[in-house]
Amino acid sequence: MDTSAIADAFDTAVDDALIWISDNGAFLFDGIRALFEGFYDGVLAALTLAPWPVVAALFALLGWRLLGLWPGVLTAVGLAFCAGMGLWPETMSTFALVITSTCLALVIGLPLGVLAGFLPRLDRAVEPVLDLIQTLPPYIYLLPAIALLGFGPATALAATLIVAMPPAIRLTSLGIRRTPTEFVELGQATGMTPGQMFWKIRLPFALPSIMAGINQSLMMAFGMVVIAGIVGSGGLGETIYEAIRTLDIAKSINAAIAIVILTMVIDRLTQNLVRVVRARP
Amino acid sequence: MDMATQVTDADDVLVDCRSVWKVFGDKVPAAMRAINERGLGKSEVLKEFGCVVGVSDATLQVRRGEIFCVMGLSGSGKSTLIRMLNNLIAPSGGQVFVKGRDVAKLGPAELRELRARHIAMVFQSVALLPHRTVLENAAFGLEVRGVARDERERTAEAALAKVGLSDWTRRYPSELSGGMQQRVGLARALASDPEIILMDEPFSALDPLIRRQLQDEFRELTKSLGKSAVFITHDLDEAIRIGDRIAIMKDGVIIQIGTAEEIILNPADAYVAEFVAGISRLHLIKAHSVMVPVADWAAERPGVDPAALPDTSPEADIDALIDLTLESAGAGIAVRDGETLVGVVTPRSLLHGVQGSRTSGAAHG
Repeated sequence: MDTSAIADAFDTAVDDALIWISDNGAFLFDGIRALFEGFYDGVLAALTLAPWPVVAALFALLGWRLLGLWPGVLTAVGLAFCAGMGLWPETMSTFALVITSTCLALVIGLPLGVLAGFLPRLDRAVEPVLDLIQTLPPYIYLLPAIALLGFGPATALAATLIVAMPPAIRLTSLGIRRTPTEFVELGQATGMTPGQMFWKIRLPFALPSIMAGINQSLMMAFGMVVIAGIVGSGGLGETIYEAIRTLDIAKSINAAIAIVILTMVIDRLTQNLVRVVRARP
Repeated sequence: MDMATQVTDADDVLVDCRSVWKVFGDKVPAAMRAINERGLGKSEVLKEFGCVVGVSDATLQVRRGEIFCVMGLSGSGKSTLIRMLNNLIAPSGGQVFVKGRDVAKLGPAELRELRARHIAMVFQSVALLPHRTVLENAAFGLEVRGVARDERERTAEAALAKVGLSDWTRRYPSELSGGMQQRVGLARALASDPEIILMDEPFSALDPLIRRQLQDEFRELTKSLGKSAVFITHDLDEAIRIGDRIAIMKDGVIIQIGTAEEIILNPADAYVAEFVAGISRLHLIKAHSVMVPVADWAAERPGVDPAALPDTSPEADIDALIDLTLESAGAGIAVRDGETLVGVVTPRSLLHGVQGSRTSGAAHG
């Protein structure tokens, strides 16, 4: 039929394009792969440098300082539980994946968000792209990534990076756009340069919104990093994927619990960072 | 324009607005052309071009050391007018000269320099940065100018001392009351030692009592430091209390400029007359406005020697004249400018003065 011919032609074109890109851009994607994996390896090495009780104690300390005594204790108990299930290495590699992908997402997302905050036309152009990214099922990004970057953490990072970026861009742009007008006027009347206006007025007022964006990006990254277990990301995602393949229900539940604990710890810690920034008198 | 007047005026006139216009909308150039060529009015401009006239043909001069009040209700264009003085809003027509320089012709760096050093602004919303201490807020203008920390904090401390906030330097704005916050706003403006301070309804949001206190302090401080100020307000009492001269605005037009006494004795139109009707004359009207010529007085009361009368200066206000009249025999009070007798205030002329020229402005307060 006519319509299926068009669909076939489209599919062939997409496939051909992907093959062409992976053939001709091999050096580029090899570079990206090396960069991503190097970054990831570094973070993972840092997290596994000390034995688990030391890392858990450090997190507990952080939780105590930021949130209070009980949250600190709960953090320690939760992380000890992860280790007790024998999932400490997986938990740390998942954490390393989240940190790496979120950092990469912020490196792109924050400057883009600032630009979009200043340029309404860029904001209008970026908005539908972000809508698209956020409405497509997230595992869609795994396919092109695996075609270009191969099996392994680099693919997981690339797909996670795409999923984690939108909240950072949106909330940074929003924060920059919403500078109270009286402070913009104050800056102008004081004789500020555009650079001073950004660093001394716009950025401080945008900070709570930016921090909320970073927290949201982290949470998106957590969700995606688990899905990325399919492409050999390593960590808890892969543990769950293995457990599903072998119908090992107990193991999959253990891994799921470890993910919940890690997510809650990181969410509460960063959320409170938002509140600390906001509450500064 | 005419360079000669600029140079000679620069010493006395700090701010010089010459028929300044502000039109808001999409077709401003066309609207301005129509205003200049056909003399369109506000409503015609709105109908024909969809443009709103914010300020029309405003001309005023602020002299060195003078506090100039612009009084008008909301929508009268006073906030737009004050923002054209430091070019926060660019005029659609006319010129604004600050210290003899056409503000619209300054480059970005020159404009920043003008705003940072010569013309500071205090806002109704105060606009203190919430994440900085009182001291850091007061030092803000100097920080923007790149003054070293030690020096700017010393200057800011001195400015805070002038407004009575020496004990609050390490606090954050949220810990201060509204009146104190506005004092920090004033200290921030004073710290950069400008010649001109623009005050955009700074005390409007404050309690009446605090407001009066700040009005008096502001006037005293401005006078003692020798600053000039343009003070925007919607409150005629405030304008009279603070201003050396007052401009009254309505619908973007300056209706009248004068001292409080001039405006109260000779309101330019019914609108101004209505405004001044409720104002107490006790301290505003001076002997020189209510006295009768010596010859008239002598004709009325032959045989009374002016030297026997109690005497006073032409600047004595009605309140003081009433006291003198009550103490004396009631024949009159001699008004002397130095040694010369310039007139006599009789009980009759005094009562006329209290009553006012048009309305029965009952004295209160």
